[in-house]
Amino acid sequence: MNFTLIFFVSVVVALLILLVWTLRKPEPRNGWKFEAGSLEQPRPRHATYLSLIRQALSPADIEFLAARGSPGLARRVRKERRRVALSYLNELRNDFQRLLRLAQVIASLSPEVGAAQEWERFRLSFRFSCRYQIVRAGLYSGLLVLPQLSSLSQVVSELAFRMETAMKELGERALLAAKLASSPDRSGVDIA
Amino acid sequence: MVDLATAQRVCWSLSISLRALLLGLVLWRRNVRSIPFFSIYLSVNLLNAFVLAVSYRVLDPQSPVLFRIVWGWQVLVTCVRALAVAEICRLLLAGYRGIWSLARRVLLSCTVLVLVYAFLVSDHQWNSAILAGNRAVELSIAVVIVALLVFLRHYQVVAEPTLRNLAIGFFLFSCFEVLNYTILEHWLKPYAPFWNFLEVLSYLACLLIWTWALCKPLPQLATDPTLLPGSVYQQLSPEINLRLRQLNERLSDFWRGKGPRS
Repeated sequence: MNFTLIFFVSVVVALLILLVWTLRKPEPRNGWKFEAGSLEQPRPRHATYLSLIRQALSPADIEFLAARGSPGLARRVRKERRRVALSYLNELRNDFQRLLRLAQVIASLSPEVGAAQEWERFRLSFRFSCRYQIVRAGLYSGLLVLPQLSSLSQVVSELAFRMETAMKELGERALLAAKLASSPDRSGVDIA
Repeated sequence: MVDLATAQRVCWSLSISLRALLLGLVLWRRNVRSIPFFSIYLSVNLLNAFVLAVSYRVLDPQSPVLFRIVWGWQVLVTCVRALAVAEICRLLLAGYRGIWSLARRVLLSCTVLVLVYAFLVSDHQWNSAILAGNRAVELSIAVVIVALLVFLRHYQVVAEPTLRNLAIGFFLFSCFEVLNYTILEHWLKPYAPFWNFLEVLSYLACLLIWTWALCKPLPQLATDPTLLPGSVYQQLSPEINLRLRQLNERLSDFWRGKGPRS
């Protein structure tokens, strides 16, 4: 076995893995749809529920339950609360992806796109995905709780707000883009 | 028990019949206008099969003339295949003028880089130069197809199924060829008969994928959609990127243990 053989076999294996990845079905977007109307009327984002999530992750409650109730009950509550937090994190990511999706629709319907802009967005979204996975792993393992999640939530909600403001300014044009993208004769872009 | 030579002959005949059937299917469905390079590729490939069959009957198997004919046709077929792949890329993305323009540059750069690199890492011997060249082209075809599919997925553009399956057929065959050439390069003499058999077998699989794909009619391709004014992208894209950059900075901060910035 020499370098050439190992190199080419590894490249082919990597390409096959990439092919399988590109062919898998897109992740379900948990019920949200890209609605043209949402460009005009910004909805409250999941960041609104941060105070509830903060309460759900509060260690004080768990300590109280462990002291006054049974350890089993405290464990069950912790498990339930972690599930809520994970679900919240997932919704935050949906918010983020929706914003990113807007950018992709605009790029795909533009006559000219900037390579640097697109590359940067690709790189940034990749980094966000990695970090999201790390946060999720942290929540699963119990290593990561409130301050980090609060930071993430604030950033996403700010991003959502600014994006919507920008989109509102260009509402009519973006609305046209959405209609074009979802019309049956323009089936290339699937934004649902 | 069927010996290797018989199995190879059977597969070879089967693949020629399938090539003819596929070309007939393209002509019957009147897809020549939609996929002209793919049609040319099928024709050249079929012609190649007949030329090889005749050459092997007429010429001595050890003859240098036969060697030149075989590899000359191989180079021609590989080049036409590359053109057919480029055509599929164009058809899958041409409707999206902006991202097609970007994709074209990226795919061309990938092709050049892979060609150069694959050729550089090969054994530098004259007798394996043709193998190395062919393998470099096959690898660049495979990389281009995967890069195209990544592009489609990134922009969530739904690929037309027939074209996507044609691309997958090309991809699988190219991957197999890369492996086959690499193994042949190392164990040239003892592996050669088995190499021929595997090549025919893999091409047969590829032909089956294409036949299955082209059984369905090819829809109207490359329609010109109404695009947004260029100013929309120019205004929004930097804004979005700025927010994304801020987001990533914030995420970096929280990994470093800083609180959220106001």
